[in-house]
Amino acid sequence: MSNTTSDDSLITTEVQTESNDESAPPAGAGTAVAARDLNVYYGDEQAIDDVSMEIPEKRVTALIGPSGCGKSTFLRTINRMNDMIEICRVDGEVEFGGKNVYDDDVDPVALRRKIGMVFQKPNPFPKSIRDNVAYGLKIQGFDGDVDARVEESLKGAALWDEVKDQLDSSGLELSGGQQQRLCIARAIAPDPEVILMDEPTSALDPVAASKIEDLIDDLAEEYTVIIVTHNMQQAARISDRTAVFLTGGELVEYDDTAKIFEDPEEQRVEDYITGKFG
Amino acid sequence: MATDNANADGFGEVSRVRGIVFEYLSLGASVFGLVALGVLLVYVSIDAFDLANASPVWLLTYFLTLVVPFLAFCLYSANDPAVTRRALGVLGGGLVAVAAVFTAIETLLVPIPRLNWQLAYLFVVGAPVTAYLTYVGSGERVGAVGFGFLGRLLGGAALGLAVGTLFLVFDSLVWFLAYTLGVVPAVALYAFGSARSVPQAQTAALPAGLLGVVAAVFLRGVVPTYPSDLLIYLWTIAIPVAAAGAFAVAERRGRTAAAVVAGVPLALAAAGGFAAAGAGLPAPTVLLVLVLTGVPTAVYVSRVVDAGEGLVGFALPVLLVGGVVAGALIVEALGVPAPDPWLDPSFLTEAPSQTPTEAGLYPAIVGSVIIIAMVAVLSFALGVGTSVFLEEYTPGSGPLGTLTRIIQVNVANLAAVPSVVYGLLGLGLFANLLGLGIGTAVTAALTLSLLILPITIISAQEAIRSVPDDLRRGSDAMGATRWQTTKNVVLPEAMPGILTGTILALGRAIGETAPLIMIGAATTVFRAPDSLFSRFSAMPMQIYVWAGFPQADFRYGVVAAGVITLLIILVGMNGTAILLRNRAERGN
Ligand SMILES: Nc1ncnc2c1ncn2[C@@H]1O[C@H](COP(=O)(O)OP(=O)(O)OP(=O)(O)O)[C@@H](O)[C@H]1O
Ligand SMILES: [Mg+2]
Repeated sequence: MSNTTSDDSLITTEVQTESNDESAPPAGAGTAVAARDLNVYYGDEQAIDDVSMEIPEKRVTALIGPSGCGKSTFLRTINRMNDMIEICRVDGEVEFGGKNVYDDDVDPVALRRKIGMVFQKPNPFPKSIRDNVAYGLKIQGFDGDVDARVEESLKGAALWDEVKDQLDSSGLELSGGQQQRLCIARAIAPDPEVILMDEPTSALDPVAASKIEDLIDDLAEEYTVIIVTHNMQQAARISDRTAVFLTGGELVEYDDTAKIFEDPEEQRVEDYITGKFG
Repeated sequence: MATDNANADGFGEVSRVRGIVFEYLSLGASVFGLVALGVLLVYVSIDAFDLANASPVWLLTYFLTLVVPFLAFCLYSANDPAVTRRALGVLGGGLVAVAAVFTAIETLLVPIPRLNWQLAYLFVVGAPVTAYLTYVGSGERVGAVGFGFLGRLLGGAALGLAVGTLFLVFDSLVWFLAYTLGVVPAVALYAFGSARSVPQAQTAALPAGLLGVVAAVFLRGVVPTYPSDLLIYLWTIAIPVAAAGAFAVAERRGRTAAAVVAGVPLALAAAGGFAAAGAGLPAPTVLLVLVLTGVPTAVYVSRVVDAGEGLVGFALPVLLVGGVVAGALIVEALGVPAPDPWLDPSFLTEAPSQTPTEAGLYPAIVGSVIIIAMVAVLSFALGVGTSVFLEEYTPGSGPLGTLTRIIQVNVANLAAVPSVVYGLLGLGLFANLLGLGIGTAVTAALTLSLLILPITIISAQEAIRSVPDDLRRGSDAMGATRWQTTKNVVLPEAMPGILTGTILALGRAIGETAPLIMIGAATTVFRAPDSLFSRFSAMPMQIYVWAGFPQADFRYGVVAAGVITLLIILVGMNGTAILLRNRAERGN
């Protein structure tokens, strides 16, 4: 999958020719992930309803919407974590790295090695801080300098200064905010292309959350970040693009963040953002 | 008080009578079982050690030379005036109370058989206080050092004896070849691979090792001459153990210290082995005991000395040995008659006999140890394998899901099948159909493994299920395969729970008699088994037979000695497993 970047131009042109203005990525960025006519069902219940969108590369894209509207489901279709849910069925395409990730010849395990994920509740492994960060390297058989990579990732997650003297103590001994940054370090250590974050700050206090927000800003220089959040201010602060989902798994509006928050096209979106609904 | 009244006036009162009644009933229920078991243990120990014939002077002497110094050591370690005051209070007050209650019962109600108030005091007050103080004392630095030191001495010796026992039936020549051709090359490849970061070498290690082991089995009959057993154990066990010890020290102290700490016990053990060979003693066992005691102890001592805390603790074994010697000298000088315990060294090293005083348990001990070792390995491997498959690999729905649920229900049912039925299964399947032989050690091991397998599986499943799903998802999202998630995240997290279940199940297996009777195990054998296919007996079988002998000496003394031996081995085994489990827990 190392030819990803060379393929990107291909997707971009293809996408631009067939998509309308609203869902086109902002100028200067290629497309990292593109969903096409995506429908997701849990048994008979539909969780994502015919969603098409292109997510720009090296930008922060926020997914917002009321509870149960399918944001987490959408996120999980990108790295095929929905495969783990037996009753879940996916229709349509998700393009990443020039390929539909639901093609038969795509190995979901190999795919996930290109896409990092951070969960709502920090979930460090009950291992040392070092082993937590090196986990992805270990399972991928990385044969370079692991310690250097651990240090680099912890610095990337703005955690290095706090833990550099206790790399061998357990990751569970950190505070919640530190644990979440540890999970971010773990996700970026194998150098993925995309990082998915599902409400990464909702279990944290405002100070820890704002640290992570700053961090997300920095991450976007190197990675494509897709983040689900319930916090409007957070979405407005950190994201370049915002997608609003509403109940039933419908993508109602997707545009530059400034536009969504200042002058949304849809009345329903305005109602949601201003708190009249949802 | 003021607030209490205010509340009572202001809010009324809530009745807690039922809660209190329930609390005391629960307490009663838990104490009932323990007390019943305690009474049994008291009588069994009195019989096994012939304490009923111990004179009060004898008891007092050993109490003063052995128990009191030990308690003093624990109190010194605990270094807490409150604990000291409480302990002395209980010891003193208990003396008066036990004596008074005991005499009252004897005079007013019934005479209590084979017990006097001194013994009652030892068991009712002495033993619990000792246990409590051991617990408190070992929590502090001095006590931790003392008990750690003592534990390594005793544990190493026990491990040496157990390994020596296993080699009675396992072919040491095959082991020699397998070690030389399989283990050594595999370890060397792996070490080379990680030192030079050549992943291919690391990957090749396992196949190379397996190849060597297979080759060993084929070459066993081909190779014409072998070194002596003593040299084999020196090469395959003593040297690697010393190397591991050296490795542990080298990281901390450097090469020279490592060479000394591991080299000296190794040299002593080798010398001891050759001396034993000269003196006609079982040289390999002597070597194993010395090296497995010496190396861990030396490593421990060097670590504690480096830490420089609680060095006084090293006096504990000296204190205990000194107490025994001093007690013996005083008893001798005073001419006090000593009790003649049934549980003495010859009981552990002799074969059964028709005369109670000569009866021994040695062949049955060997049989039990061998069977338990095999059962532990088999049931652990099968139990972990099955539970991982059921929990991690099978889908919840579809035909395979249905199959899983059927297996699941049946495993639960199997746990309730009486052990006699398993005996029948073993007889039909292993002894007859597979031709492993009636009453042989393999048949017994396989049968007992099947017997406890459901318990191992269920507890392992429970442990695996309790690993949070968050961790699995975290690992999956990193791009781990199912196997990588299982190996790196699920199993390490579940291991303490899996081990707990296996330990409990093994305790069950070591005491089983019914299935052994069914597969035709001998009740009494006069020689220890020397291969997996020789006839054997196990401790519970032998004890059961003794209990049916007409002579009272058998029914009381010898049986009691057997029961105590069985319990000590069981506790030792569980203790080791629990230590391993705690290691696994701390490893996280
Ligand atoms: N594992 C599952 N099994 C069955 N239904 C599910 C599952 N996960 C989600 N759903 C359903 O899919 C719909 C979308 O759920 P999803 O978790 O994607 O919502 P969300 O937008 O992330 O909500 P929240 O903001 O509360 O996290 C909901 O109706 C939910 O009931
Ligand atoms: Mg969600």
